[in-house]
Order: sequence, then structure tokens, then C-alpha cells
Amino acid sequence: MKRISLTVFSILAAAGIACAQTPANLYGRDGQGKQGIVASAKPESSQVGIDILRRGGNAIDAAVATAFALGVLEPNASGIGGGGFVIVKLANMKDAVVIDFRESAPAAAKADMYPIGDDGKVKNMANVVGGLATAVPGDVAGLLYALDTYGSKKLTRAQVMQPAIDWARKGYPVTANLSKIITDELAKINKFPATAKLYTNDGLPLEAGDTVKNPDLGATLEMIAKKGKDGFYKGDMAKRIVSAVQDAGGILTEEDLAHYQVKIRQPVSGTYRGYKIISTPPASSGGIHVIQMLNILENFDMPKLGDGTPAALHVWSETMKMAFADRAKYTADTDFAKVPIEGLTSKAYAKELATHIDMKKPMASVLAGDPSRYESGSTTSLSVMDKQGNMVAITKTINHFFGSGVMVPGAGFIMNNEMDDFVPQPGSANSIEPGKRPLSSMSPTLVLDPEGKAFMTVGSPGATRILGAVAEVISNVIDHKMSIQQAVMAPRFFRMQSGDYSLEGRVSINTKNALEAMGHKIALKGDWDPFFGGVHAALLDRNRKILFGGADPRRDGFVAAY
Amino acid sequence: MNHLSIAFCTLSFAFASVSAQTLNLKAPIADKPVLLTSSGQSADIEMVKVLLDRAKLPYKLDAKIAAPALAGTGAKTVLLVLGASSKGLGAAGISAQGEIERTNLLIAEAKKQGMKIIGLHIGGKSRRGEMSDKFLTDAVPACDYVIVVGEANDDGLFSKLTGSKVTLDTVEKISKLGDPISKAFK
Repeated sequence: MKRISLTVFSILAAAGIACAQTPANLYGRDGQGKQGIVASAKPESSQVGIDILRRGGNAIDAAVATAFALGVLEPNASGIGGGGFVIVKLANMKDAVVIDFRESAPAAAKADMYPIGDDGKVKNMANVVGGLATAVPGDVAGLLYALDTYGSKKLTRAQVMQPAIDWARKGYPVTANLSKIITDELAKINKFPATAKLYTNDGLPLEAGDTVKNPDLGATLEMIAKKGKDGFYKGDMAKRIVSAVQDAGGILTEEDLAHYQVKIRQPVSGTYRGYKIISTPPASSGGIHVIQMLNILENFDMPKLGDGTPAALHVWSETMKMAFADRAKYTADTDFAKVPIEGLTSKAYAKELATHIDMKKPMASVLAGDPSRYESGSTTSLSVMDKQGNMVAITKTINHFFGSGVMVPGAGFIMNNEMDDFVPQPGSANSIEPGKRPLSSMSPTLVLDPEGKAFMTVGSPGATRILGAVAEVISNVIDHKMSIQQAVMAPRFFRMQSGDYSLEGRVSINTKNALEAMGHKIALKGDWDPFFGGVHAALLDRNRKILFGGADPRRDGFVAAY
Repeated sequence: MNHLSIAFCTLSFAFASVSAQTLNLKAPIADKPVLLTSSGQSADIEMVKVLLDRAKLPYKLDAKIAAPALAGTGAKTVLLVLGASSKGLGAAGISAQGEIERTNLLIAEAKKQGMKIIGLHIGGKSRRGEMSDKFLTDAVPACDYVIVVGEANDDGLFSKLTGSKVTLDTVEKISKLGDPISKAFK
């Protein structure tokens, strides 16, 4: 039945049979099972993960297989030209671990490497489009490290990667979502012939229902499956990557690739109403500030304030303002900057911040004058859990949709434009330095129940909105007792330390009006707006011994379960 | 499904296909070269650029051109790509209201210069909505010819705005846009 649903979903999504702003198949994306759950941005990739679990693989095997498959099936949002974070706690592990495979600045990178125009922006978008935007990719190193270290060893690397290879070769349908993304990025895609050849019909975007076949990527993945990490970071493929990036104006070298290192990090952790929150530390800002926001909220009776009420959204607004003010000031790659993690995630600090919230009116911008800048909402996230309580969440990206636009000719993958996540001028904790990882918002997160047992995995794309999306889903489940799918689908809201308060279109009109009456300046977004991320989550109900998966209609998200 | 039904559906589809290709524009109205610009800063302008390249129509692309600069382009026709994108407006550093004002001033200057204005709405239903529609109210009636792709006119808004004064054509897909665009030019 689930396979029939998958087929129907794919047809609907491909045909784009949807009203404007309402995703297709709104209510059929979640799933439940007794053995295992995989939630990801594509039904095909979720099915890949479940098939791996069925074959005896563990949650890491499934997550890595799904991740490689997403790089094929959702190439706009992640792939082997990018990077990300894994958070893993297998049932036999005392503590969770974060595998940081974030991209890093090339050795020749400098704080002032990008000329800045009179408007304060980088000239010619050199940190967004083209080779100079590319940082050293970590995707292959990170995923293979996860597999080698935490995989079941019952499946080989080739077996784990084979589904992704198959999808690259046989092709997959273009959904309305992907067609729109190609349209939005067409100017960038058309700059690079190899990219345009794959994702356009003679320069016009592929349309819903078209098929993308990427045999070049299939061959590249097959080579990696055979040769491992060195097949990508050394030798012929490394030469080809460097050639493609340098031909497009970049400074990446073979030494950069050969010296790329995965970093193993201790997660940041906190608690929320008795539940333990375990999340991603720097080089991501996400985990620190998800925990900080939840710490602040804990000072308010959020269950009593209600879900989606003016009072609740007001508390969220003020909480987000303070968290983002701190993020702007303090958070960076801890290999290069000192970040007061303990202080930022402490209950005492949160309690002090909570006293600044006036329930009658919003506070003034916490950091006046901080420029709001457009940030890319791309990236992808997946969650895997099984009945043993093994938990994995991966969030990975090539930064903007279709990254730098630069495809390695004949290899089928696009290079990231992660350099855009640095501050392009000297003088900031997040300025460019050789080997440094740019600040991320990616927040794959694990939640343990008050007894310390596996409860939930959650993650999202969406740049800075990731922090809000992840925290809101956690609160929706814990405070408002929503099912995981309800929690994912609930209307979202987001703001930074200054600027408008963005509300998703489905927030109650009464709440919107009440917030405006209090003095909030509201920016109303679409009803199912991908601006607010694309959460994919899994939850284990230990009492009923059932796993539940939640998938986001704001992407092509889908849960597979068995 | 019986054979008669299949035959009926096939004939209906064929008739509909033929009908979709019959244009309301009966004769060319516009001169070259073209100034290609945006009203709403959506990414759709890139698709029109591809179509103009295919049709080998000479054009200058300036998505944010201001009215005073119009005379200096040497263009005889303005091709206005209609439809808003908050991402595009943000990247361009312009507010929605500012973009509407820019469009209105541009249209006024084009008319003063004796230029023809062709409006294109190619983003389909997803390029309609509260924000995008604000860009249509003043601009569409001011055009000399409007082409709409897909189902964007399902609610009749374009028909209402063009009325009997502005020729309106609809094409099924973006890839079919090349024909009416080419035929609009002398």
C-alpha cells in the first residue's frame, strides 16, 4: 500500500496538480511502522533508506544511503560537491556524536578576497556564482566516515551507495517544486554549459513530468563506492574538480582536497521540560541557539499560552530576537574563535533574558542597525530511527540552490557556493580564513525523553530559519502534544534581532491582527512557504512501540516506514 | 473507456491544440530592437531572454532600468516581464511599492517615446497571488499586447484588465511562447 501511495505521490508531484501555494498530497506524507522510519525530502530517497533497514542495515547505513540518494534526486539542495553535519546516537552509544563535514575555505582564501562594491555587496556576486564561491567539499568524506565508523558492517559501501547509483542512471521525474527551483536559478544554471545541459531544455527550465538522467553522476558514485574517499579527494577526480572550479575563476587546489578533514565534535546539549536536547555545535550556530531559545521559552507556560495564539507568538518573537542578537555577536567556527557555548546555553542566562520580555509590547530591535541580508533557504535534512532506538539526523547542503552553478563536466555534480556563508570583509568572527568553516545554521537534533531514552530526531533546511523550524517542532510536540506530522505541518513564524516578524500565511488572522496591535511589524508569507524550511523528523512512541515519521509538504518530503 | 469516448477525447484534444495556436494578434505591431525588463523582478525574465535568443530578436536586457534611461537604449519596443518575486525584489534591493512606481514611470516614458509595450506573464498560476497581482493592475491595461502562459488567466483577471482595448493571447507552455513573440514583431 505504501508503494502505491509513493507512486501516486510521485505522479501528483510531477504533474504539479496543485493550487497555487498548496502542495500536492498534503496529507499523505507521514508514516508509521514498528521497525524503522526514514523521513526525507524525496519519497524515493526515503524508500532507499527503508530498503537498507529491511536488508539488515542499521540507522547509519540507512541514513548514508538516503543522503547519497538525495544528492542525486534533489541535486539543487545537496550533493557530493557540498557538506553538512551528521548527529548520531546509536542505542549502544552512551553519548551522541556530531560528524562535522562542513565545507572549509581553500588555503589560498583571504579575508578580503572578494572586492566589495559601493553598495556593500560583493562585486559580480563572486561569492555566490562561479568557482571563487566554492569551498572545499566535505560530503563524501563525512558520509563515508559515518558509514565506516558507525555502520553495521553488514552491508558494504557499494551496497549502501548502489541505490543512489541506480537512480542517477535510470532517472527520476522532475516535480513542480524542482521545476520552479530551476526557473528561479536559471540565470546561474545557464552560465555553465554542463549544468544547463542537464537541467534545461536548450536553456528553458525542465518542466514537471520531464525526467532527469545523470549517468555521469552514476559513474562518479560508482567510482567512489569502489575506491572510497580517496577516489574523490585524490587522483583523477580531484584534478577534474580543481580544473572545473579554477576554469570558473576559483582558487581550489588538489592540496585543498587532499587535506580536507572531517571533524568529530561533541554535541551541545540542554533540556526542555525534562527532555534532553542534543544538537549541533559550531561550526554550526544552530544547536546553541535552538537550545537557548528553548531555555528562554521554558520560563513561560507555553502549553497554557496555547498553540498559535498572540501571546505564544509574541514570546517566540522576543525569544528569537535575543537569540539572533547573540548569534550575530558570538557564534563562529570554534577552531578559529572563542564561543561562550556554556553561557549561551545556560538556564541562568536564559532566565535573565526571559525577564526582558514584556508581554504587552515588543522590545525594540535588540541589535539596531544590523543589516538583514538575504540568505539561501536551500539545503536538505533527513531523519532515521529504528525500534532499537538508534537515531540519526543529517542536514547537508551545497548552500544556495544549485550551489555555485559550476558542474564538474562529465562527473554530474555541482560544486557548492559555501564561501557565501562567510562575512566577506575582515573584522568579524565569521570572516574568511584559510581552512576555516563558515558559520552554519544547520541543526540536526536529537531529543531524548525524560528517562533518557530515544524520543525524536529532527532537522530542517532554511538558513537561519532552521533554528526556528527545529525549535518550533520540538515545542509543538512537547508543549502542545501534537503528533510529529502535525508538528511539522503547523504554521511557522520567524524573525531575527531586527526587521519584520515573518508569519506563514496559515497563522490565524486574529493572531496576526493582535500581534500588529501590540506593535509587531508583520510580513505575511505564503501558506506553505519553503522560506520556513522543510522539516523531516522521526518520533518513537515507546509505550505503543510505534515509530512515527513527519515529512514537510513545503518540500517534496515523504516518510517511508516498515 | 469505449472506442467512441476515446475518439471523442482525441478529437477534442486535437481541436484544443489547434485552437491554442490560433493567435488573437492578427498583425505585427512592434519594431526592433527590444528593451527587455521586469516588473516584479521575478526570475522569469531569464526564460524570456532564452526565447529572444532563439528567435534571434535583437534586445538589451536591463531588469531594473529606470525611465530616464529608456531613451538611451535605442529600443523601439519594451518587453515587460510581469510577476513578482520577494526573493528577486530583495536581491535587487527594491521594495514592491518602489518596483510598481518604477514600472509605472517606465510605461509612461515608453508611451511618451512612442514605443510599443508588450507584457508577458509566463510564470503560470504560481506567479499569481496577492503580491504579483499588484503589478498587473496598472501595467496590463497600459500594454499594447499581452501574452499569458498556462493557467494564469483562469480567474479571468487578464481578460478583465485587457478588456477590448489590449490584445490578449494565451499559450499553453513557455516553450510555445516563441511563436507569438516572433509574430508580434515587424
